[in-house]
Amino acid sequence: MEPLLRVEKLSKSYHTRGHEVKVFTDVSFAVNAGELLLITGRSGVGKSTLLGLLSGLDRASGGSIFFQEKEVTGLSLAELAELRASSIGMIFQNFNLIPGWNARENVEAVLMHRGISATERQKRAVEILRELGLADRLENLPAELSVGQQQRVAIARTLVNDPVLILADEPTGDVDPETAAEIVELLLPRVKSGRAAMIVASHGLFDSSLATRIVCLKDGSLSEAAQ
Amino acid sequence: MNDDVIVCALRELRQNWRRTLAVISGYAVTVALVIVLAAVFLYSRVVQDIMIGGTGTYFVTWLPACGDISSLTEEELAGLAKGIIPAKCQEQCENCTGCNKKPYDILNEGFVVNTNTTRLLTTELAEKVAALDSLKNVSPCLMFRFRDPTNNLIFTVAGVNPQDYAVERNCVAVSDLVEGSFLDAAQPGKIVVESGFAINNGLKPGMKFSVAEEEFEIAGLVKTGVRPLNPDIMMLFADAERVINKRIHNPLEKEANIILAVSHDATHHRKAMEDVKKLLKTDSLLTTGCYWPASEALGLSGRMVWGFMLIVMLGSVMFAAKIQWSAVVERYRNLAILRAIGWSNRVIVWQLLCESLFQSVVGSLVGVLIGAGLIITLPVNSLLGVDAAMTGVLNPALAAVIFVFAVLAGLLASLFPVLRMHARLPLDDLRRF
Repeated sequence: MEPLLRVEKLSKSYHTRGHEVKVFTDVSFAVNAGELLLITGRSGVGKSTLLGLLSGLDRASGGSIFFQEKEVTGLSLAELAELRASSIGMIFQNFNLIPGWNARENVEAVLMHRGISATERQKRAVEILRELGLADRLENLPAELSVGQQQRVAIARTLVNDPVLILADEPTGDVDPETAAEIVELLLPRVKSGRAAMIVASHGLFDSSLATRIVCLKDGSLSEAAQ
Repeated sequence: MNDDVIVCALRELRQNWRRTLAVISGYAVTVALVIVLAAVFLYSRVVQDIMIGGTGTYFVTWLPACGDISSLTEEELAGLAKGIIPAKCQEQCENCTGCNKKPYDILNEGFVVNTNTTRLLTTELAEKVAALDSLKNVSPCLMFRFRDPTNNLIFTVAGVNPQDYAVERNCVAVSDLVEGSFLDAAQPGKIVVESGFAINNGLKPGMKFSVAEEEFEIAGLVKTGVRPLNPDIMMLFADAERVINKRIHNPLEKEANIILAVSHDATHHRKAMEDVKKLLKTDSLLTTGCYWPASEALGLSGRMVWGFMLIVMLGSVMFAAKIQWSAVVERYRNLAILRAIGWSNRVIVWQLLCESLFQSVVGSLVGVLIGAGLIITLPVNSLLGVDAAMTGVLNPALAAVIFVFAVLAGLLASLFPVLRMHARLPLDDLRRF
């Protein structure tokens, strides 16, 4: 079976004040549907940057990313946006909800501009928010929600378009253990059912026993870690 | 562009109604200000036109006589009386028909303007002058100095068409009447007399006055004040032609010695005089109601006014640009989030342009209404201390231009930060903002 995502010799570097800063080089790995890959490493090693490259929010300095056997590193910004809208869900560490939009509108946003009717959008958004226990918080703004509720809205936004690849950046980083367990409970069924693959970047707050594989990003290189 | 773009744009405007209101207010204030300024400029031009029109947009023109008649020999004078023009005069006679129409009493009588003797011009030439675009009205005039052989009284008579505006400005108007009645084109045989001349000679309305042995009834007395033409007696053109014919060798044939003119307006005054001089050749003389470049002395220049308007418009564009720039830049993070969840740059650009278009159209429309309301309600003329109606200053075409200009400026101004965002990766904006 072909992997859902294949990364080959991926590297990323920045140019700051005339100097090249290498974040990582020659990172290679593959993820299949139904797998949860945990990327660990200390803060600042480039875990979030790696997720940014995988989601097409950033450009790699070298190497290739193949998604469903199609190379995506050379795609245009518009094509990458389309890929995110159709197949990739992203959970950010700080949730990245639109402050002026309520919970329902934040979730619906993913379904907009895709030819889905307003009624259908609203129905799907409400359904998933109910599924995540936010039925009575549909019209609340992010600022009116607890941190855990905000994270659940962010997860609802990620799952509403049924992505085949979920990228999560410290999904349990800012929440208490109980809420963290709830979040994992919400995300895992999609992976375990084989409908999606998930890549989690965490510096240790994510329960590693849930991962199918664990890799460690250290000193610019990626290596398999013992489970 | 899909329907969702408009839905999202309207939702964004509604949810951030304070910002929307601020942007719309910015447009409204700017457009209203520009419209009011434009109206004040236009009004200042109206006022200046009125002011200068009352003092200096009229003039008279004539050609000086072609030299001292006394230099001609007896034989040449006799030939002149028969219409034979001396060779030395011919080169100066392009616009003149008068050499064979010299007065019998050549030392005392003649075609004069003040103390200058003049040539005769055809009325066709006056019609050519009247056809100039820079002139509003033109009227031919006969001005002749008579001597009454019975008492040696010397006086000047002007033959005019009293209904012409050029006569009213340059010579005599019904408003100058101090006693009696004015000239009437339908009632020949009557004259009006300058009040100073009347006092000196004991003349009153209703009395008879003899011109070239022909009795005229004095219809009224006038005070003409300071005007380019100051005759003692004014009569109808046809009457003047008839009495003058009695005192010259050959009768006049559709001729006049002075052309009275009124410029189209103050801004065309200099051009009008230049056009007339060009037509009459360079040796023509002009007499004006006031120092002739009055319009320039007042600083009246169309280019200056429109130049200032352009500066104001550019200022408003920069203001609109600032408003739109701020409105987009403060949303960079939100826009980056939307791009991160799959919105394309194209969709975001369309949405921002829709929002910008809505705000600029509504704001500019409100601005036009506020501006028009201010122009109508504010007593600008009394505030400026000017006794002139505020007419013609609310120019719909100009308001439309200002409206379109503001809307386009807003769109362009919003496009610039949007295009800058377009070139950046979403992750850069998520990190930076």
